[in-house]
Amino acid sequence: MSSSMNKASLSDWQMLREVELFLFHEAELADGNQYEDWLELWTADLLYWVPSNDDNLDPQKKISIIYDRRAQLEDRIFRLGTKHAYAQRPQSRLTRLVSNIVLDDFDTESGGWVSSRFVVVELRNHVQTLWSGRMRHKLVREDGKLRINEKHVFLLNNDTPVGNMTFII
Amino acid sequence: MNQHIIQTSNFSGKTHWDKAALASLIEAGRIHSRVYTDPELFELELDRIFSTSWLFVGHQSEVPSPGDFQTRVLGRTSVIMVRGKDKGVRVLVNRCRHRGAQVCETETGNTKFFRCWYHGWVYDTNGDLAEQTGDEAYDDSMDRKAMGLTPVPRVENYRGFVFASFAREGETLTEFLGGAAAIIDLMVDASPTGELYADGGSHKTEYRGNWKLVGMDGYHPLHLHASVMETIHRDPDSGIGSTHRSNPFDDTAATYTRDFGHGHSMLDFREHRIKHYEQHSEFIKKTSGGAEYIDAMHKAHGEERARMLLSISGDPHLGLFPNVQLIHNQIRIVTPLAADHTQVEMIAVRLGGVSDEINANRLRHHESFYGPAGAGSPDDTEVFERVQRGMQAELNPWLDVSRGMAREFTDVDGSTVGRISDEVPQRGIFRHWIKLMTQS
Ligand code: FES
Ligand SMILES: [Fe+2]
Repeated sequence: MSSSMNKASLSDWQMLREVELFLFHEAELADGNQYEDWLELWTADLLYWVPSNDDNLDPQKKISIIYDRRAQLEDRIFRLGTKHAYAQRPQSRLTRLVSNIVLDDFDTESGGWVSSRFVVVELRNHVQTLWSGRMRHKLVREDGKLRINEKHVFLLNNDTPVGNMTFII
Repeated sequence: MNQHIIQTSNFSGKTHWDKAALASLIEAGRIHSRVYTDPELFELELDRIFSTSWLFVGHQSEVPSPGDFQTRVLGRTSVIMVRGKDKGVRVLVNRCRHRGAQVCETETGNTKFFRCWYHGWVYDTNGDLAEQTGDEAYDDSMDRKAMGLTPVPRVENYRGFVFASFAREGETLTEFLGGAAAIIDLMVDASPTGELYADGGSHKTEYRGNWKLVGMDGYHPLHLHASVMETIHRDPDSGIGSTHRSNPFDDTAATYTRDFGHGHSMLDFREHRIKHYEQHSEFIKKTSGGAEYIDAMHKAHGEERARMLLSISGDPHLGLFPNVQLIHNQIRIVTPLAADHTQVEMIAVRLGGVSDEINANRLRHHESFYGPAGAGSPDDTEVFERVQRGMQAELNPWLDVSRGMAREFTDVDGSTVGRISDEVPQRGIFRHWIKLMTQS
């Protein structure tokens, strides 16, 4: 292996490490049901998308499980914060692993697209449920900090009947 | 919905639920909770309701071209709704005539043939047996014409909605729908061209509770959906708010519960929503193609009906007993799996003759409330599970459904009408339920 390749992979590694730590931080906030802090991670305009039935569909033609722009995501977070969000009373207890993180099209200055996989174990009302799938994040750098501009979640089981998924996926 | 989960019954027909025992479950204004919890009653329901009544199978637009198919589960039976090569829509039992394997394991698609993997028998899209492997082993006593996939005995279509019945004889679909047919029209006629396409994708959900809990209930929204009400108050144009101007669930509002007989019931928002026509039409006009839509509706339906149809946004809020509801932008199919386990599929419809933006808006509107991560349905299923757990306590097993009994009345169309929070639908459903359960 040439030394220049070593250098390239080392700078990649730093970039990757920063992204990794960001995604781990996001996972911590989501697992802790820290809705407001989690919302803080996003840019002003945003897309939070969880397609239904298929990974590749046109959300203008087909229903999604979640298709939130800023206004809808704010509604979601506001509602979860009210006293009456019964589907989250009790709240889900969550622990998630985020892994297989790959920088698809990313540079340190401006950010870009990141792919990863996740497993979420949810415990609610004495029932443990496993959720898993693929994610794509579009991260952008604002004032030196990474923020989420888009997040797409492709559930492994988006085409089978599922129960209550009102926690942050 | 999920063809891998099919009810298999070893119910022998013997039961301690004789007519008198069944009749004792339903009283005026109260219901015994066993109707939701008893596994033996559940088996009886599959025999006496799901094997006799008209059942919703799908919308014809799900299978637009020859070879298009969609599998569904009706009671215990997996069926294939398929557009045959002769262009006819059939409902065929998903079971090989040889030794019983399912011939179609995919939910939806297009095919020329259904091939059984076990010994290779092949059926065409009309259901006819097209090929029997090694057919020299059968002599003339095998009538191949009679060995096609079994058609469900009766199939009828109302404005694109395909229904089937396992009963060879009985009332027609028109008799079954009765006054509810005109309410189905409210969804279809939201399209100025009268075209509905059930191709907007779907939400598939399940809950650990009885299938009859889905029901039709105008009493709970202010309470169970309090978090949504709070959210609406922030912005009436956001999400579900756009059709719920002012408070439709207040008993002084011009909103009603309606029972059409046959267990078909409705939350009737027409009179209330039409009062907000001006506001709502302004909201529609903000969308590209909105003004054209309003214009086309007036041309197609005339001023008065167009205003009503636009005001309700094609939301009939109708429940057709036993397995389908038309709510907002969705066709909702309820599939019972066990006394305490139910699947619900919500299929989003698209209106013909309107702009893509209007249809996209309707999808966003649906997502805001429904589905596994929506603001509303998870609270519903959450409480259904809570009811199912609560009903395990049988020290006092009666459920009260007497709300509004003293104030309900019969409308000119023969339907029974109450205020929005009255338990008219619950009483109507169980009046029909007991009739079907005790029929001989
Ligand atoms: S079971 Fe289908 S070919 Fe034998
Ligand atoms: Fe509800």
